Amino acid sequence: MLDVIAEELGHILAEKGEPMPVIGPDTVFLGGPLPIDSLDLATLLLVLEQRTGQDPFRAGFRQFTTVGELAALYQPAAAS
Amino acid sequence: MNAPPAWIDPRFRLIEGGQCHDAPALIEMAADGVHGPVVDAHTAAAVVMALVAAETAGRPVALLRRPDPDAAEAAAGTGFAVLLQTSGTTGAPKLVRHDIARLRVRLRGTGDATARWLLTYEPASFAGLQVILTALAAGATLIARPGEGVAGLVAAALEHGATHISGTPSFWRGFLMASGDRDPPLRSITLGGEAADQPLLDRLAERFPDARLRHIYASTEAGVLFAVADGRAGFPAHWLETGVDGVDLRLVGGELEVRSPRAAPGREGWQPTGDLIELAGDRALFAGRADGRVKVGGAMVSPEAVERHLLAVPGVADAEVRAVPNPLTGHILTATVVPAPGTDPDALRAALRDAAAGLEPAARPRVVALADSIPLGPAGKKRREVTA
Repeated sequence: MLDVIAEELGHILAEKGEPMPVIGPDTVFLGGPLPIDSLDLATLLLVLEQRTGQDPFRAGFRQFTTVGELAALYQPAAAS
Repeated sequence: MNAPPAWIDPRFRLIEGGQCHDAPALIEMAADGVHGPVVDAHTAAAVVMALVAAETAGRPVALLRRPDPDAAEAAAGTGFAVLLQTSGTTGAPKLVRHDIARLRVRLRGTGDATARWLLTYEPASFAGLQVILTALAAGATLIARPGEGVAGLVAAALEHGATHISGTPSFWRGFLMASGDRDPPLRSITLGGEAADQPLLDRLAERFPDARLRHIYASTEAGVLFAVADGRAGFPAHWLETGVDGVDLRLVGGELEVRSPRAAPGREGWQPTGDLIELAGDRALFAGRADGRVKVGGAMVSPEAVERHLLAVPGVADAEVRAVPNPLTGHILTATVVPAPGTDPDALRAALRDAAAGLEPAARPRVVALADSIPLGPAGKKRREVTA
């Protein structure tokens, strides 16, 4: 799932003309090295739902700060 | 020339752009500066000085977020008043005239000079002006970082120890993410600008158990109508019978109508709000807009208007823009575009990107799919409703 998130983040940053920094499980989405705003992050959640068929937020907002915390919200099957 | 406004508490301080100004300094700068009736108000300092100058001179002032060729004419005349642009994300913003004395009536119970307010809204928006007026009247400290995203605002809240924050639910979701395990010393949490959902209210109550938590219902024309402080989404259904805070409420065809004693001139009597309500037990819950517009990160967006914008792009045979619910921003727009025969897909994507760049960020379709056709609803119309 980390790879999927990194790949889709890369697409979003490429659209903005921004370079993709190296990211890991501990990379924070907002306020860290990623040049993204909350609308970009909302876009990421949308494309992850389209790609995995899963919506971990169906029952409401769930807390996540880092790439690893977001990845953990998706079922492992989605990573394949 | 009159005396400077007496309602501004001299203890007011503004921390903005690495500088700190107190009320006397801002009033002095307002007296020294050249202020016309139309002000590009991108900072809190600009708003404060424009207010002081206009009230002292006894004339209207238009506080602009975007250029408006009609502003000078609208702000002509005498008598202190403030003109603000509505946040139309597509199409021309409207200038709405506000009576500051009427707005100040709402600032009761907020006279806490030890408060440190974080400004999360644009300074020249209705919600931003409310925060600025509250801090000015209370002699509180106002922390502003115009143009900053949520991460920058959180950094400012931590750095300056914000105690009072008013923001959209979208802001608060970003706040919870960006603040990690560092909490500013919050005493008051206000949500406004879009419907607050129960999971977010629960998260905030859990994280800040000692803070006063409330969500506000307001409209551009009628101003602040009521506040809900019981920590639950929506509002008590019995308010539809009893009214609240002097404001009468009723449902007409599922849409909320309001009658407020504080309504602007010409807005007396029952006014439609455009907000749809669903009743669930003892609760009235917000269920979207009657006209199909949605909130994206706190900004009101018309999928239909964005669709018209895309339809005007050369090479587009048809287009459909949809609002998709999003856990972070409320909604987000997606588009399906049917290319005209013989159109190069790459060139079309580039043209769509250019067209989207002319829209406000909230109004840009974030995912664009190219398709052979657009599925139509039973009546042969595009299915305008929000997908669940």
